[in-house]
Amino acid sequence: MSSTSVLEFAPSAIRQRITTWRHLRGGLKGSEYAWAIAFLVPYVGVFLAFVVYPAVYGLWMGSEASLYSELFSDPIYQSTVVNTVLFLGIAVNLKMFCALLLSGFFMRRGWWVKALLMIYVLPWAVPALPTFISIHWMLNGEWGLINNAIYQIFHIDGPAWLDSRWFALGSAIYSHIWKWMPFWTVILLAGRMAIPQDLYDAAKVDGATGWRQFVHINLPLIANLYLICTLLSTIFSLGDFNSVFFVTGGGPANSTHVLATLGIRDAFDLAQPRLGVAAVMSALPLVIPLVIILMRKLKTAEVQL
Amino acid sequence: MGNLSRRAVIRASVQLAAAGALSRPYIANAANTTASAWWVQGFAQEEDVAFRQVVEDYQKASGNTIDYSIIPYAPERQKIVSAITSGDVPDLFTANPAEIVALYAWQGKLVDVGDVVETQKSQFSETALLSAQCYNSVTKRRGTYGVPFTGAVLPIHVWKSLVEKAGYKIEDIPKTWDPCWDFFKDVQKKLRAQGARNVYGQGLQVTANGVDPNNTFHYFLIAYGGQDIVTKDGLLHVDDPKVRAAVIKALTYPTTSLKQGFVPPSAVNWNDADDNNAFHSKLIVMDLDGTISTEVAIIKDQEDYNDIVTMGLPLSNEGQPVPSQLTVVNALIPVGAKNVAVAKDFLKYFIQPKVNNEWLKVGLGRNIPVMPQIVKDDPWWFADPHRKAYTTQGVIGSTVPAYWAFNPAYSQVQTEHVWSTAWNDILNNGMTADAAADKAFARIKEIFAKYPIVQS
Repeated sequence: MSSTSVLEFAPSAIRQRITTWRHLRGGLKGSEYAWAIAFLVPYVGVFLAFVVYPAVYGLWMGSEASLYSELFSDPIYQSTVVNTVLFLGIAVNLKMFCALLLSGFFMRRGWWVKALLMIYVLPWAVPALPTFISIHWMLNGEWGLINNAIYQIFHIDGPAWLDSRWFALGSAIYSHIWKWMPFWTVILLAGRMAIPQDLYDAAKVDGATGWRQFVHINLPLIANLYLICTLLSTIFSLGDFNSVFFVTGGGPANSTHVLATLGIRDAFDLAQPRLGVAAVMSALPLVIPLVIILMRKLKTAEVQL
Repeated sequence: MGNLSRRAVIRASVQLAAAGALSRPYIANAANTTASAWWVQGFAQEEDVAFRQVVEDYQKASGNTIDYSIIPYAPERQKIVSAITSGDVPDLFTANPAEIVALYAWQGKLVDVGDVVETQKSQFSETALLSAQCYNSVTKRRGTYGVPFTGAVLPIHVWKSLVEKAGYKIEDIPKTWDPCWDFFKDVQKKLRAQGARNVYGQGLQVTANGVDPNNTFHYFLIAYGGQDIVTKDGLLHVDDPKVRAAVIKALTYPTTSLKQGFVPPSAVNWNDADDNNAFHSKLIVMDLDGTISTEVAIIKDQEDYNDIVTMGLPLSNEGQPVPSQLTVVNALIPVGAKNVAVAKDFLKYFIQPKVNNEWLKVGLGRNIPVMPQIVKDDPWWFADPHRKAYTTQGVIGSTVPAYWAFNPAYSQVQTEHVWSTAWNDILNNGMTADAAADKAFARIKEIFAKYPIVQS
């Protein structure tokens, strides 16, 4: 006898309870439900162990108010906040804007454009650490490749790239853009490629080419994608440790730290892990609104023409 | 797919848990003879080979097992901080950086290893013993929380060929502090006059990265008479006029040199390896840098190896010997270690002079013994000119402990790079040496206030 037939003869209250119970089980019956649980348990275990536990532990570690008063009174933290805002503001926007322009270039037909694209994505494809360490050496004021080249060509000494705060921070921003612009270019390129050709053809018939096509077709159609990419990139870049740590080392004299590197410095160099967590946690007022905006944007179902 | 009932899942889970519980005593029995160890990776591969050999020999001799991991410097440090924070600790690890022995002893997070050190107490130098005796704020007294097994001082490394190219001989280098450093300014001037574009007389690490700038500052501080900035009782003496004067000189000389162009501008942001790179590329004529890793790194290139002259410290400006601050590296056993007995047993084995000596020798003598008798009994330590100078300076010569041994507050002074910040204030923020010293003193007093030591 199937369970359906049982339901047919059961009193209505019991029938209702069974229906609710089955609904809660996702419509699964008997051993199907046990199997579902068995398959789910490892994932839930991993999720609890590696996502929930570290997040809760981190929140707990950074929960003491005294940590924040210690942090906010530290002049290095104050300059770090300024650096982080500059890093995000300049690096993310410049990177995304250039990626937007370049994605248009890479839409062009021709084998050489494809070949160039292949070369262009190399910085993103190669491992980050060796490249950032190479950049650190290339930027050395005395024996680095760049200043030697400047001297050979112009017979003047190049700037001390890593020896002053603003040059060093600029070098870290440049390195970040160099590393990540290809990735976002490819994403925006994919977005452009999804725009139906018919729209361009219709625009051509109406006499719109070049800049007007970009303003009236490309821009409206990829505006949402651009915004989502920018938000994502801001969140990723907030946690970008490598571009700063391996290029400037946070120096000179701790003047180019961003929150990601300062957190590691406080946690491990100063052996004060709670302070390190607090440094990273202090970015939450920025991260949470970004995530909320991102989620709201991702809910957008229709194309915004 | 067969039928799997909820009961079957629960039954299987209970059986698995029971099997785990029943097998635990056997796992525990195995653990009784096993100690886990985190060992810092050596600069030369030979150091790791030597450590593996020590472990192998110990295991054969004792029947115990050392479950070790050899970990690079920075990751080991991060693992240690994480382990101490979480409480999931190994049975022993190397103090990385060296000053954490004082910090964790203060917090009551280390096991007293006085019984281990006692087995070789007569062998250890006084500096080594002082570097292991740290204050515990829980027990309110000092104890032996580290097992010293090696040490390092800062010799001076000089390119003989560059000195000679400038028209001087190594013997021309003055024997007292400031004249010695000034000599390399003259060497630079002569080399530049010959057309050398990028060559600097002095390798002084005025950066805020790593341990090197702290060491550099302390060597200048001690040479200028500021040795008692922190005394054995753990008290701070920055208000002592003699200390203050020495601090100001130690802030002034390196920054003035850099401003005058005798130190590479990039030295303000060097990392641990950058001064070595600068020296090897002959960007700097001399370098004040810890250990003889500078020389050992190019030992296969005998021409360059022999072109380097390794020197001890010059005398003070008053003509007195300047003691070298010896950074002693300890092995530590954290509170919560599961097998303290085996960890201690292994360390007792490791610090036997013969075993310790062989381990250091395979590491090419980059690190020196903290037992003077070792070098007195073994001519190997004097068979190479670099090793001879280094051993004479760091083992035979006069040494003093790092200040963190006297008060853990100084660990924080070092890790925060308070003195490097003062250099930077002079170089980039327009401060005078006096003002930079006052700012540093204020910060140091704040830090020391957090670490009160009860005087017995």
